Amino acid sequence: MKTNYVGKSVPRVDALEKVTGQAIYCVDVELPGMLYGATLRSPLAHARIIEIDTSEATRVPGVKAVVTGKDFPYTFGHMIKDQPFLAMDKVRYANEPVAAVAADTEAAAQEAVEKIQVTYEELPAVFDPRKAAATGAPIIHENLEKYEHSSMYKIVPGTNVCTHMTYSRGDVDKGLSEADEIFQNEFYIHPVAHTPMETHAAVVKYDPSCRVFTVWSSTDAPYQRAKDLAKALGLSFNQVHFFSTYSGGGFGGKGAIVAEGIGVALASFTKGRPVKVVYSRQEELTASQVRLEAFLKLKTGVKKDGTLTARVAEITWDNGAYSSKGPEVARRGALTIFGPYRTPHVEFVSRLSYTNKQPSGAYRGFGTNQVTWACEAQMDIIANKLRVDPVEIRLKNFYQDGDRYINGQIMQAAGLRETLERASRGIGWGEQNSKSAGALVRGKGIATTIKGTATPTDSYCFIKVNFDGSITVLTSSVEIGAGQKTVLAQIAADTIGVPLDSILIPNPDTYATPFDFGVTSSRTTYHMGNAIRMAGQSVRKEILEIAADVLGANPQRLVFREGKIMDRDSEHEMSLKELMTKKYGGKGGSILGDGHYTPARSSIIKAEHGIQWMGSIFWMWATHAAEVEVDTETGVVKVVKIAAAHDVGRAINPMACEQQIEGSVMMGISNTLFEEFKMDKGRIMNDTFADYKVASMLDLPVIVPIIVESHHSEGPFGAKGIGEPALSPTAPAIANAIFDALGIRFNELPITREKVLSALRERDSV
Amino acid sequence: MKVSIDLTVNGERHQVDITPWITLLELLRETLHLTGTKEGCGLGECGSCIVLVDGTPVNSCLMLAVDAQGRQITTIEGLASNGDLHPLQQSFIEKGAVQCGFCTPAMILSAKALLDENPDAGEEEIKQALSGIICRCGNYKKIIEAVRTASDRKADS
Repeated sequence: MKTNYVGKSVPRVDALEKVTGQAIYCVDVELPGMLYGATLRSPLAHARIIEIDTSEATRVPGVKAVVTGKDFPYTFGHMIKDQPFLAMDKVRYANEPVAAVAADTEAAAQEAVEKIQVTYEELPAVFDPRKAAATGAPIIHENLEKYEHSSMYKIVPGTNVCTHMTYSRGDVDKGLSEADEIFQNEFYIHPVAHTPMETHAAVVKYDPSCRVFTVWSSTDAPYQRAKDLAKALGLSFNQVHFFSTYSGGGFGGKGAIVAEGIGVALASFTKGRPVKVVYSRQEELTASQVRLEAFLKLKTGVKKDGTLTARVAEITWDNGAYSSKGPEVARRGALTIFGPYRTPHVEFVSRLSYTNKQPSGAYRGFGTNQVTWACEAQMDIIANKLRVDPVEIRLKNFYQDGDRYINGQIMQAAGLRETLERASRGIGWGEQNSKSAGALVRGKGIATTIKGTATPTDSYCFIKVNFDGSITVLTSSVEIGAGQKTVLAQIAADTIGVPLDSILIPNPDTYATPFDFGVTSSRTTYHMGNAIRMAGQSVRKEILEIAADVLGANPQRLVFREGKIMDRDSEHEMSLKELMTKKYGGKGGSILGDGHYTPARSSIIKAEHGIQWMGSIFWMWATHAAEVEVDTETGVVKVVKIAAAHDVGRAINPMACEQQIEGSVMMGISNTLFEEFKMDKGRIMNDTFADYKVASMLDLPVIVPIIVESHHSEGPFGAKGIGEPALSPTAPAIANAIFDALGIRFNELPITREKVLSALRERDSV
Repeated sequence: MKVSIDLTVNGERHQVDITPWITLLELLRETLHLTGTKEGCGLGECGSCIVLVDGTPVNSCLMLAVDAQGRQITTIEGLASNGDLHPLQQSFIEKGAVQCGFCTPAMILSAKALLDENPDAGEEEIKQALSGIICRCGNYKKIIEAVRTASDRKADS
C-alpha cells in the first residue's frame, strides 16, 4: 500500500509544544487551593515501628494534614499486594515512606516532616538476594502467603522467595553428554536507576462526597494504575480518574504507583483540596524503583564447531522490599536466557527474592538486559575458547524461520541474521583493530538479543471524525517521550486517508479514552497501531459511503486520499470538510469508529498447551557491535563506536526509530560503565547526580543506527517494536570489546575504571 | 518578610515582591508561571533548569531570585518572536532532537548562548557547551545535529 506518512521521518507531532515550553508535564500541574506534600522516610532498612509522634508536626503553620500508615491502612500491588501506602507495622527498606504531610507550601510541609518523631526497633536486614532466598534469612514479609497475588507467581511459604519458576524442555543431561565442551560461568548484573529527568510526581484531588480520586500523573499505563488504586481502596474504576500529562521520561520506572500513592494518602485527609507530590532527585534515586539486580549461572554444552547442545540456567533476582513488576520480570525475563539460539535441551530455575532494598521493577528490557548480559558474554567465552568467530558462532545457532521456540511456538526469525550481518559490517568486523597508541588499546565486540512482547495484551481506541474534517484519536497510550503520538498519528493518517496535521491525539484521560494495557513491553506501535488501523478503516468506510451518497457516485469508483475524495467517473472532487458540512447540514456531527486489537486468536502464537504465554506475537531482534578504546594507565574505557542494528518489522518513522536506538546506546553505555549504587547498611550513599553518574554529551560515541525491516505479517504496515531491545545488547557488546582489547573478561557489571585498572594490575603482575 | 525586585523576563519588566530565599527557578515557575523551565535535581547537577541571565546560561535552581535584580532573563517561552520560531527551535523539531522534551528548553537556551557568542561552533564546542545538561533519553547525537544545523543556517544568513 502506498503511504504518505508511514515510512517517513516526519517531525514529531509533540515537538512544537516541547520546544516552546508549552507542554504540560505532571510537575507543571497547578490547581486552585493546591497543597504540597512531603514525605518522612525511614533511615533504616529493616525495623519495627514502635511509635510515631506527629503532634509537633501538626502544629507547624500551614500544615493541613499529617498522615501515617495507621491513618491510611491500605496496601497495593500490581502483582503481589504487598506494599503499604505508608509503612504500617515495620519498614522494609531505607527511605520507605513512613509519614506524609500536606501543607500550604513546600517549605511548611518539609518543616513538619522534620518534626515527626519515630521510634524504631532495628531488625536484622538482608541485601543479597541469594542470602535472602536461603533458609535462616531474616523474613521480610511474615504474611507473604496471605497476600493477594496471581497464581502465576509461585510463592515459597516461610521464605523471602516470592516468585519461583522452573522449566525444562528436552533432556539436558542428554544434551550435555552430546557436547564436546561444557562451559560453566557466573554473571552478575547490578541494579540501576531509571533517572527520568522528570522525577515521579502526582497531583491528587479527592472528592469526599462522591469518593472520587482524580489523579494527574505521567505514569506509563493510566488504566493499570487506576485499576490497582481502585482495588487497593475498594473503589470502582470510575472512582479513580487518571489524567495523563506529558512525561519527562519513563524507561519502565513510571510503571508503578510511586508518588501517586503518597498523593492519594494525603488527599484523603485534605477535605477536597488537591495535593501535589513531586519526588526530589534524592527520593527518585533511593525510593522509586530500580532495575532488578540478578545473579546468573549458566552451564552450556557445545559441539567443537560451536553448535549448542544444551543449556542449564539458574537465576536469582532481587525484588527489593516490595513487588512492583518484579515477579513478571523474573518470570518473563528468565525465558530468554537461551538467547536467539536454537538449543535442543534447556532448563532453568528462576527465583525472585525480597531484600531490604528499594523495590525493583520494570526497566527498559523487562529482564532482557539481565539475561542478555549473561547469554552474550558466555557466547563470547565459548567462541574464544573454541576459536570460532563470534559472528560465526551466532549465525550457526540462530533461530531460523520455522524453528520452534521453547514453548513450541513457530518462530518468525526473518531479520535476525540481517541485524548481525549489518551491525558487524557497520563496525568493520574482521578488519584489523586500529593500532594501539601508547597506553590506548582498542577492541571490538558483538552481542545479539531476542525480545518478545507480553502476549496477549489488548489495546482499544476510538476515532472521531469531527464536523470540520479534523480527526481526534482517543487512546490511552501515553506519550512517554518515545514518539508514541507521532507514530500512531502516522498510522491513523495513512489508514483513513487524511493529512497528518488534521489528526489530534490528546493525552489519555481514563474517563474518556478506552482501555490500553500500557506503554510497556515495546507494544504500543504494534498493538495500538493495529487498533487504530481497525478504527481508521471503519471511519474510512463510512466516509466513503457518505461520499458516494452525497456525490451520487459508485463507492467503488471513489478515491480518498489526503483528506480529498474524488469520483473517478465524474472527476468531481470534494474535501472531507465539505463532505461533513454537506452531510450534517452545517449543524455538526461526528463519524465514530472503534478498534480493539488483541493477538489472542492469532495463529502466530500457537504453542504447546498451558505455556502459550511464554511466546510472543512478535519477536524483536537486535545486534550491537561496539568498538572501545581502553586507557591501560587509567582504566578508562571509551566507547568509540557502536553500530546498532534492529529489526523493527517496518519503521513507521525511521527518525523515531533512530531516536530509540541512539538513546538506548547512550543509556547502555551509562549503565555499563558509570552507574553504580554505593550502599551502607542498605542506605544508598550516592543519591545525587554528582555521585550517581549518568552519561553526558561528552560520552557520545559514533553511533550507527541500522534499521532492518522484516515486515511482520500482522503488524500495522508490518511494524513490530523497538523501545526495549535497543538497550540490552549494549552492555555485553562493550564487555566483549573490552575482552578483545585486553584479554580480560568482566562477568560482573558495572565495568568501572577502578575495576578495569585493578584487573590490569592483576594481569600484569602475573 | 518580602523584598521587592525588578527584573526583565523575556523582554517584559516585572516588579515582584518575594521572600528573599526563593530561587530564580521558583520565581519563574511559581510566581511568574513560566513552567517551561524545568527542575530536574534542584542541586545544579542536571542542567534542566538553565535559563539565560543577560545572555549567559545559568542553573536557575542555584541562583537566588534577588540576584536577578535588574537582569535580563530569557526563558524558553521568550524565544519565538511574533509567532516565528527561533532557528534552534526549528532545527530541534526537524532533526528529531526532542524526545521526552524535559531537557529541551535548557538545551535550546544553552545552544542559543553558544551560537550568539560563536556562530560557527563545531561539534566539540557544542559538546562542551551542552555537556552539563543531562538528557536521559540519550538523544545527544540528534541534539548536536540540530545545533549544527542552526549554526550552519546562521552562518549562511
